[in-house]
Amino acid sequence: MIDRIVPAASSVASPIEVGAADLVRGAAAAASPAAEGADFGAMLGALTSNALSVVKDAELISVAGVRGQASVQQVVEAVMSAEQTLQGAITIRDKVVSAYLELSRMSI
Amino acid sequence: MFDPLQVTLKIGASGLEAQSKRLRVVSENLANAQSTGRAPGADPYTRKTISFESEVDDAMGANLVKVAGIDRHRSPYRVEHNPGHPAADANGYVKLPNVDVLVEVADMREANRSFEANLQVIKQAREMISMTIDLLRSG
Repeated sequence: MIDRIVPAASSVASPIEVGAADLVRGAAAAASPAAEGADFGAMLGALTSNALSVVKDAELISVAGVRGQASVQQVVEAVMSAEQTLQGAITIRDKVVSAYLELSRMSI
Repeated sequence: MFDPLQVTLKIGASGLEAQSKRLRVVSENLANAQSTGRAPGADPYTRKTISFESEVDDAMGANLVKVAGIDRHRSPYRVEHNPGHPAADANGYVKLPNVDVLVEVADMREANRSFEANLQVIKQAREMISMTIDLLRSG
């Protein structure tokens, strides 16, 4: 009886383990390009360039809205998305900068 | 993978668009409630109806709403005896549009309420995103 339960349990566990292994591998693959140029400026640059493109899109749609080529909903949606991306980026930047300051304040 | 909250915003936006198109159709019906034909015995404006359908967005795996089509309503025209009217037929009857103003106003209110409901969904999702970002700020 126990013999039957044990293989069943292992077969249940194995997909999860495989999934976890995939996740770890995926994370390693995602981390490796960042690790090569793991510098503070590059990280902030990547962060802001993404935010910048969202904000630029919002500007384009806003101008189209003023011209009457985009609906009010589209304009509001784009501006809202830009606002939120910017807020997120600013918050992360603040967090990173404060961590940086914390490091520099460390007594040696 | 897509952020469910961002997907919610997109779905809400599709609802807003659908309801605004519905209001557009209602406004056409109301504006043309008295529009007759020009020639004697000609058909007047026909009431337009709008129908919605679900549309699966493959990228996000979400069911958006879209307008399935704007059709003509198949109910008989109202008839009024007005021999002096340019569109009156040989017996003096004028065909008037099959628009019931009361029904249109009710439809307008419903479009308004649905629009509001979708706005609330967007507001809620936005608030949840902001709250989550604030978590990073205060900590």
